[in-house]
Amino acid sequence: MSRRLWLPRRHIAEKLGIDRREFLALGSGALMSIAAGGCDWKGPPGSGRALRAAERWNERVERALYRHRAMNTAPAGARAAGVDFPAYFISPEVPEWDEDARGTWRLEVDGLVTRPLRLTLDELTALPRTELRLEHFCVEGWSAVAVRAGVRVSDLARLAGLSPGAHYVDFQSFDDGYHESWDLDSALHPQTLIVYGQDGKLLSPEFGAPARVFSPVKLGYKSTKYLTRVTFLAERNGGYWSDQGYEWYAGT
Amino acid sequence: MDNVKRRHHLIVRITHWVNAIALLVMIGSGLRIFNAYPAFARRGETFCCYPFAGHKIPAWLTFGGWLAGARAWHFAMMWVLVINGLVYLGFVYLHGEWRDLVPRRGIVRDALDMVKFYVAARRDHPRQGKHNALQRLTYFSLPFIAVASVLSGLAIWKPVQLAPLTWLLGGFVWARYWHFLAMTTLVAVSFVHVFMVFAVDPYSLRAMVTGRYDEAKSPERRNARPFVNLRAPAPPPPAPPSPPESKGAP
Repeated sequence: MSRRLWLPRRHIAEKLGIDRREFLALGSGALMSIAAGGCDWKGPPGSGRALRAAERWNERVERALYRHRAMNTAPAGARAAGVDFPAYFISPEVPEWDEDARGTWRLEVDGLVTRPLRLTLDELTALPRTELRLEHFCVEGWSAVAVRAGVRVSDLARLAGLSPGAHYVDFQSFDDGYHESWDLDSALHPQTLIVYGQDGKLLSPEFGAPARVFSPVKLGYKSTKYLTRVTFLAERNGGYWSDQGYEWYAGT
Repeated sequence: MDNVKRRHHLIVRITHWVNAIALLVMIGSGLRIFNAYPAFARRGETFCCYPFAGHKIPAWLTFGGWLAGARAWHFAMMWVLVINGLVYLGFVYLHGEWRDLVPRRGIVRDALDMVKFYVAARRDHPRQGKHNALQRLTYFSLPFIAVASVLSGLAIWKPVQLAPLTWLLGGFVWARYWHFLAMTTLVAVSFVHVFMVFAVDPYSLRAMVTGRYDEAKSPERRNARPFVNLRAPAPPPPAPPSPPESKGAP
């Protein structure tokens, strides 16, 4: 019968061959390390492989869930974020296209296409325009509403003559090599745009001028800003955040 | 006399402990994800109902190390949690344990009696079966909280592909809030649960490990409220040996 419920009949310290004081010191040290080092913890060694397997499984689930006809509509009462929209870039300063050094900015559409394109901003804005009030979903958990104006990636792909072998798209930028590659389905979603206008104005440099990708069907980091090149590929090509451990598919 | 009975089936015990670990990982990684934006308001707006906006959860309460790590854990462990929960519910349904968990007639009155007993406004422990009325209400409500967590989680994970679900929950911002509230509820229930195990019925810990439970030490038999009658009553002293009756063999 357990007469003393809270302590084993023989004190653990005696079993371990240390005295009570040592036992208390060791015990509290162990508890502290559980509290401090044990938490905010990345998990046991070897868990990385299991997590990568789970990510591959999740990508299959996410692709199965994906529908071209699933659309985002920003809530009617939501206020546009405007100047409260966080501006992100990886360069130390706001990246701006230097015309003197690099010549006129052009958007290249190439890779597995029959008619590669090199579009100036004027040529891009002359293409069929799509303007949508959309929610932006950030990996950090915040969302924001903005009106996006631009050209559907699917329209660009049609114009460039997409080859049947293309299954991925890489969106590249002049922001310190930032890029993210996508599955073709998500890139051809009707709400995936090459954006040059935001909230009724031309895109400003802190939000990715002269043009950027935007889609509500992916988390924000997949939508490359400061866009220079759209390359259709047979294989995926990683991405700035995906290569560092963030989910590659990142669908919403 | 043996009062030790098998109380928890092996499947209940395994799913209980898998749930405990998976839930800890989900909460820790969820809090680490939350710390990337410890607020609910849409950008450019304010949010009515969270007074701690901008204050991060202490890092030692979080799991995953960084945002991508926490997300990887969260989206891996969610499968373990959901599959484990379905195994538990399926087993409890097929094996009949649900009878010990569904609310019975008079459950509210019985629950009030338990509360009265716990606050010492009543002398005797109310009659109970496997669980008292408060436990039955709690354990019965857990699957509903679990469903709320899963649905609100799906609404955050896929706000476009599952847009109707996200809309039903009031949009992305509110879905995040319901997900957070469901987590808070689970944390509160878990704290009370663990407290009651140690303060009222420590013998139930053995039951959840080995499956065996000594009915003679049940809280009802011990008349136990938190920290009162924690120890089992001493077994009755053996009857004094009766004097040998000198009946000479014939």
